[in-house]
Amino acid sequence: MEETRNSTFSKVVNYILLIVLAIIFLIPILFIIMTALKSNADLVKNPVYAFPEIVKWGNFSEAWDKMSIYIRNSLFISVVKVPIGILIEALAAYALTRMNFKWANALFAFFLIGMMIPFQATLVPLNMMLNHFGLENTYPGIFMVYIGFGVPFGIMVLRGFLRSIPKELDESAFIDGCGELGKFFRIILPIAMPAIATLIILDFLSTWNEFLLAQIFITKNSMLPVTAGLLTFQGQHSNDYTLLSAGVLISIVPILVVYLFFQRYFVAGMAGAVKG
Amino acid sequence: MKIKYWKPWTFVLPALVAYLIVIVAPSLYTLRLSFFSWNGIAADKKFVGIKNYTYLLTEDAVFRVALRNNILWMAGSLTVIIGLGLMFALLLNRRLKGRSVFRSIFYFPYVLSGIIVALMWTWLYHPTKGFFNVILQQIGLSQLTHPWLADPKTALAAVFVAAVWQGVGLPMVLFLAGLQSIPRDCYEAAIIDGAKPRQSFRYITIPLLSETFVVVFATTLVNAMKVYDIIYGMTAGGPAQSTQVLSSWMYYQTFKFNNIGVGSAISWVLVLITMIIIIPYVYYTNKKSHL
Repeated sequence: MEETRNSTFSKVVNYILLIVLAIIFLIPILFIIMTALKSNADLVKNPVYAFPEIVKWGNFSEAWDKMSIYIRNSLFISVVKVPIGILIEALAAYALTRMNFKWANALFAFFLIGMMIPFQATLVPLNMMLNHFGLENTYPGIFMVYIGFGVPFGIMVLRGFLRSIPKELDESAFIDGCGELGKFFRIILPIAMPAIATLIILDFLSTWNEFLLAQIFITKNSMLPVTAGLLTFQGQHSNDYTLLSAGVLISIVPILVVYLFFQRYFVAGMAGAVKG
Repeated sequence: MKIKYWKPWTFVLPALVAYLIVIVAPSLYTLRLSFFSWNGIAADKKFVGIKNYTYLLTEDAVFRVALRNNILWMAGSLTVIIGLGLMFALLLNRRLKGRSVFRSIFYFPYVLSGIIVALMWTWLYHPTKGFFNVILQQIGLSQLTHPWLADPKTALAAVFVAAVWQGVGLPMVLFLAGLQSIPRDCYEAAIIDGAKPRQSFRYITIPLLSETFVVVFATTLVNAMKVYDIIYGMTAGGPAQSTQVLSSWMYYQTFKFNNIGVGSAISWVLVLITMIIIIPYVYYTNKKSHL
């Protein structure tokens, strides 16, 4: 296809379309950046698309004062949740693919059912359970919930990858006197690094962007992650659009950084992961 | 290489326990709660059989709006989001300078949270200072300016436009991966046989993308059933409940009105619809992998 339609004309049309679409896609972000750089007086007086009269960086420091705690909370939740979650998912995927496990297929099907259960179907009992054990508004409670919800997807991705590793490796490791745990940590895990890197990125992203669970299980303002925190921030400054825009941008930055550095994994990961 | 029969269980155990505690047991308990009338506080729950479900279907007008909105959202996603995703992928599927820059721009909104997208677009839709109305005024179409999110007639569509901006990247990336796996020989052979570009597209590209289409359809439908963050962030189900979807209405019934039984019933309606979508998909992909 790349070769067959390579007339200059169609290439130019293609370019023009892409550029127009890219501009349309960037407008919302540019609009937010412009708003965040203005003073409120400027915003009231001049049309929204005008450049700021004077660039007001103060919006960012003011928003950062409020938002930094939410960003810190999200970072903390992600940094703890993602490695623990992936470790237990990898252990399970290992048992399901490389241990001659009689129940492997049945158990895998059982885990897959979890992909069909929307969060909503678990909220009330989970809430009762957390309250019962005094885990509401605690990080252990949050970790448990987040880790549990990550299990089906993580196992699906890792099982798919571990299955493709040749069996001969296990046999030579066995002959060299490796136990199952040794084989897992020293041989299979290093080989699975590309899949794990992808999963780390996807898992980080979904933990960072999670909103519903945070909304239900975290009621203490000082513990909110960035999604729920941003909504609280909006509630407190509902008409202060310059400050709000600065807050939105601040919460975009961590994602943008991760995105730019690990983009390869995002794209490859999404395409690969969904296919299983 | 003999492994003791209990050994695999020790490896599966942590994941299995987390899964049972967080997903399996709670969702089954929710199923049970959906047959009771309960306000979440009282010590006794009253068994009411399937009354919560019949209430939803016959009396709860908002439930019907929510169900309709989910169906509209699915239809919109299947046509607009998948259509644009395919179009973007086709535009990007050739040797171009800056191809990866374009791809990054189109995919980036997908990695943002629904809440961020919601706040951005709420500002874009602002009745007097928002981007859309100001631009309409500037180009002399001030009669078209509109309180997009405050009018029940336009609110859902307005939120959906934001969702399109956010969601196009996913099908685009999947289609792009699918397109790149089509061997070039196919197209070359077609040209030798005198096929026009449109015929190549219809008789080579589309059929060879069929597996990608299945994946894209399934993920798009499931995402459309689950939609919550962006709606909650932009309209919270309003104005006049016109943008409620099943997941947001479940939230209101359960956590705002304390109708635990009714809320549980809504969440199981969600489970059932999701199963109707996913089971054929799992069946199809399993059959494929055994061939």
